[in-house]
Amino acid sequence: MLWKEKYKIGIEKVDQQHKEIFNRLNNFLNVVRNDEEMKSKLEEIEKTLDFMGQYVVVHFDSEEKVQQEYNYPHYEEHKEVHDRFKEEIINFKQEFEADKYNEDLVMEFSGRLLTWLINHVADEDQKIADYIQK
Amino acid sequence: MTTDYIEPIFTATNKVLNNILQLKEIKQGPTAVTEELIATKKVNISIGITGDLEGAIIFSFPEEMALKIVREMSGMEIKEIDKFVTSAVGELGNIICGNALTTLSQNDYCCDITPPQVIIGIDNKISLASEEISIMPLETNFGEFDVNIGLCNC
Repeated sequence: MLWKEKYKIGIEKVDQQHKEIFNRLNNFLNVVRNDEEMKSKLEEIEKTLDFMGQYVVVHFDSEEKVQQEYNYPHYEEHKEVHDRFKEEIINFKQEFEADKYNEDLVMEFSGRLLTWLINHVADEDQKIADYIQK
Repeated sequence: MTTDYIEPIFTATNKVLNNILQLKEIKQGPTAVTEELIATKKVNISIGITGDLEGAIIFSFPEEMALKIVREMSGMEIKEIDKFVTSAVGELGNIICGNALTTLSQNDYCCDITPPQVIIGIDNKISLASEEISIMPLETNFGEFDVNIGLCNC
């Protein structure tokens, strides 16, 4: 999962956070998709889910604060997307806790996460950049 | 039958694939109409639509294209179709339809989408509630794929 310069929105703090999320998820995908047994992957999966649960909240807060500072007109919609994502992470965490050795469940979640995150950063967050630059 | 919802679906497909994959250009081939959908490509992602339009939109990708898409997104070596691949491509379909519905809502079509269903295999008959299915062939530098639109505004 590769970070691209074109994903930058021009707010240093937010760009750094995006980079960090991409890096962490990259490690996560490498662990999830290696050929080792599920047992050896559990620690990394749990670590990433904890990270997502905490860091993503911090990041979304920073991003929402920037939107408010600039009076971004789509703030409410964007916040809703963030809130739904946070809820999805919480739901998945619960599902995973209840069924830790279910590799399909983790694969399914990781695939969705990959596409969701790239689209969010490459499209929805770029609209903030476009607005700020205007 | 009005099919004014087809163009917004193409526009959304174009936009989302360009954002995520930086495709150079998507060429839209002539749309064909059929009464029965038989899968001609291996990875089929069906997104159900409910509301003012009822039915489904099915994205049909050849195996190699689905793998290439996920390789590009993940930066990883992906050799076969597995849950990770179908889920990533399924989410792509989900995002495209979400985008299309936003445009359609401005044209007074108020709809919802249901989570992606993955149908793997060629020659399977894919059941759709609508009487007619529009098959929109698209050509990209990642390969050729179809968007099958089986919707009814009845």
